[in-house]
Amino acid sequence: MLPPTATITEIREAIASRSVRASAVVEGTLGRIAEHNPALNAVLEVFGDEAMALAADLDRRLRDSSEPMGPLAGVPILVKDNICLDRGKTTCGSRMLAGYSSPFSATAVQRLEEAGAIIVGKTNMDEFAMGSSGEHSYFGPTGNPYDTARVPGGSSSGSAAAIGARLTPVALGSDTGGSIRQPASYTGCVGLKPTYGRVSRWGLVAYASSLDQIGPITTTVSDAAIMLDVLAGFDPLDATSAEMEPVHAFVSVERPIEGLRLGVPREAGSQANDESVRTAFNRAMETFRSLGAEVVDFDLPTLDAAISTYYLVAMAEASSNLARFDGIRYGHRATLKEGEGLEALYARSRSEGFGAEVQRRIMLGCYALSSGYYDDYYLTALKARRRMKQDFDRAFGAGLDAIVMPTAPDAAFPIGEKSDDPLAMYLEDIYTVSANLAGLPAISLPMGTATTESGKHLPLGLQLIAPAFEEVRLLRIARMFERASSPIPLPAGFGL
Amino acid sequence: MARRLEDIQRVIPKIGLEVHVELATRSKMFTRVGNPACPEFEDSEPNTLIDPVVLALPGALPVPNRAAVEMSVRVGLALGCQIATLTKWDRKSYFYPDLPKAYQISQYDLPVCGDGAIDIPVHDPKSDEVRTKRVGIIRAHLEEDAGKLLHEWPGGGRIDFSIVDLNRAGTPLLEIVTAPDFDNADDVVAFAQALRNLCRALGVTEGVMQKGHMRFEPNINATLELPGGHTVVTPIVEIKNLNSFRALRASIEHELREQPQRWVEDGREMGPGAKTTRGWDDQREVTLLQREKEDAHDYRYFPDPDLLPVEVDRAWVESIRSAMPELPHERAARYRRDYGLAWKETAALTEEPGVGELLDEAIQSCIERDIERDRGARLGANLVLQCLFRLANERSVAPGAMGIDAERLGGVIVLRASDRISANAAERLLEMLIEEPLTDPEVLAEREGLLQVRDDSALEAWVEEVLADPAMAASASDVRNGKTAAVGRLIGAVMQKSQGRADAARVREMLLERLHG
Repeated sequence: MLPPTATITEIREAIASRSVRASAVVEGTLGRIAEHNPALNAVLEVFGDEAMALAADLDRRLRDSSEPMGPLAGVPILVKDNICLDRGKTTCGSRMLAGYSSPFSATAVQRLEEAGAIIVGKTNMDEFAMGSSGEHSYFGPTGNPYDTARVPGGSSSGSAAAIGARLTPVALGSDTGGSIRQPASYTGCVGLKPTYGRVSRWGLVAYASSLDQIGPITTTVSDAAIMLDVLAGFDPLDATSAEMEPVHAFVSVERPIEGLRLGVPREAGSQANDESVRTAFNRAMETFRSLGAEVVDFDLPTLDAAISTYYLVAMAEASSNLARFDGIRYGHRATLKEGEGLEALYARSRSEGFGAEVQRRIMLGCYALSSGYYDDYYLTALKARRRMKQDFDRAFGAGLDAIVMPTAPDAAFPIGEKSDDPLAMYLEDIYTVSANLAGLPAISLPMGTATTESGKHLPLGLQLIAPAFEEVRLLRIARMFERASSPIPLPAGFGL
Repeated sequence: MARRLEDIQRVIPKIGLEVHVELATRSKMFTRVGNPACPEFEDSEPNTLIDPVVLALPGALPVPNRAAVEMSVRVGLALGCQIATLTKWDRKSYFYPDLPKAYQISQYDLPVCGDGAIDIPVHDPKSDEVRTKRVGIIRAHLEEDAGKLLHEWPGGGRIDFSIVDLNRAGTPLLEIVTAPDFDNADDVVAFAQALRNLCRALGVTEGVMQKGHMRFEPNINATLELPGGHTVVTPIVEIKNLNSFRALRASIEHELREQPQRWVEDGREMGPGAKTTRGWDDQREVTLLQREKEDAHDYRYFPDPDLLPVEVDRAWVESIRSAMPELPHERAARYRRDYGLAWKETAALTEEPGVGELLDEAIQSCIERDIERDRGARLGANLVLQCLFRLANERSVAPGAMGIDAERLGGVIVLRASDRISANAAERLLEMLIEEPLTDPEVLAEREGLLQVRDDSALEAWVEEVLADPAMAASASDVRNGKTAAVGRLIGAVMQKSQGRADAARVREMLLERLHG
């Protein structure tokens, strides 16, 4: 029997060597979800019978034949609920889609299933991926396994909380402005946002199309590498997907980083950061130096404009992407009163179906795109975005191999603390959004913990950003850091 | 100053035209499902040409159809347009139940085709003269069509709700916008017809007006000349969604009559926000106000982030350009110039795709068999216009689609040109070729006894027989007495005896020789 902390690598080796049955692994996962999810509200839907049937089928094939297995054979996996699956519900954490079933699966999910992964359930999230705390779900907030009174971060809140509590070894998330990395940071996980275009968006319910990417949340860097190897690839169904050679990250990460140059933006200013973050970050830089890497300061002047640029672009795109939820073909439809017409059907269906944060972003996005304001807002944001890309190009062009920043300015905060202050919430994303705006691959991994007054550990995340399509370098640097630093404590109370 | 109708000394119209052409690609503009504008799918049941992209299901993404871009380039080149090196897709947002995404993917500021001009022929039926009209093309851009919202069951039947058919949603549309270069309805209709022929010849649409393959939206206003050199300009009226040439002409003529009257009544002049949108009532033949101000809608255009800008490869454009066929109006002009055909004939010969090509190839094959070009052309054009069109019509197929190829048609023309078959025999021969498209016309004519008999001894025998017939005596004596016209009856009798094979001209000669000589 494997421990609940078993990684993808350990699970697939155990199954391949016939020392553990896939059924036992899946049964263990389902048991952990049943036991611990009530405290977290991380998982919205569980496919128990189907997962067990798939596992039994895999076990039969393992017994009867020696055919080669997929790289994820028997690995139980959770999927964020804005990624379409051709069974169960795809709710996006919204009342609008509370009853919606997708007739098709996302390309990313199909790739996982072809690799042998067993999808055990769908995870909670901020509604339509809009939020940085997991509090904006129609199905209630998700708790952080390190302190269930605190947020797990968002918007991939359920995926991060589930992996933090080791309900499964891996979950899929989506990252538009930090929605994989920030919750990974708050829950002590590894979260990878691949280069824009690396993983197909077909079947990912769009929040902001030019920023969205699917990626994995795992417990180790190697597991993130395995996931990337499976997920990456051109998809004719996504016009923004990149035609690239296949990635072989898993076999390439165990290489020293001596001589690499890592840049720390001066603008990733210390005063905004929590003291615990500053301390852990400085210690992390020491670790890099001890590994023979060079850590240098450099200027990333556009970082100051990153938040406003990001929210303008994201909200503008969101206002258009979410227009299809009109109550006509699927999704929530308001019951009309006598005399109400089409206009009321739209207005009421959308007002009832969407939560406050989603409505706020749609309204701001429409405003930014409306005639008379387009030039001042949307067009200005596009220009700032272009300058941001140039900033990164210049930095990498001048010899930096990767950029290092904290993932978030603080550790997980108490549920409700920022609910009434959207601007404070938006600032959570200050370090993560620029990778999305520039389309670059980025990863968050644990770099230590803060300690609460009540003595609880709260994980802190270190973020690395690499040039486009340099995920292998990114994962290699992350892996060397992970190997050189002592693991953070596991959360208490989850049988770990 | 009081506005009076009688003060208007002159009305100078200004008209521009927007044309929507549904492109007949096999699949839709941004997804693989079948396109109802393609003949293969046109009779599909409602809501069967749908998929996650058409339905705008969560997670679905658009992928552009290269064939639609290629068709647009073909039309753009035919209209003398500049083909963009970089073109992009924009979202045009509005809510309506027939628009699943609540935005239409269109092209806002970088259309695939821009800045062109085309010379089209305009025929004056009174003088039978043909003049050339130059029409500027502002742009031609690609977009997707919406579905259809219905307020009664298909085929009638009241319902107290609305239903939607999304088959048409996502059909590729090419929107062509002309400069306001027209000053009368005739020229607009001439352009619209030339454009339809051109699009059909390029194979980008079937061009069936009743099916909405082409829709016209004229923009109309006028300068009114008043006493003392004063002028006023009336507000622009856009008439939406016209799908017949008749409605296009009638609605423009109606507007040009109405606008001076309207100005007298309300005094409104051209200015910002003065553009109105009107619909056409086909029964009452009037335009009806639809929307007061055109800028009442804010479509919030922005670049579609699901689609990358398209870099149009120059070599690709050049390869399309070099494969462009002769356009119908160019072919018609050539027929008039070189063969002396009349406007009506050339119009008929160039309206249906494939007919002109068939005729040209047939004429070429005649030339190769030593038939003089003009004689071959003349006879060929007649055969096509008089026989082929009738035969095609009887069979409800296109004239070019009856299986008669240029080689066989050329064979028939050669037989006719060398007087080896009669006009009637040529027609029968064509009809038989439909059943036996692989047979050589000469072999067929011989087998069926259609070749003319020109052997004098055989002809003489028939002439003798007829003159010996007492029933013919009266006619014969008429001819002898100088009523030459009476010879027709005698010729007819000879033809009957020969079962139509006798060379009628020679028979006439022989008869006159005998009776006068």
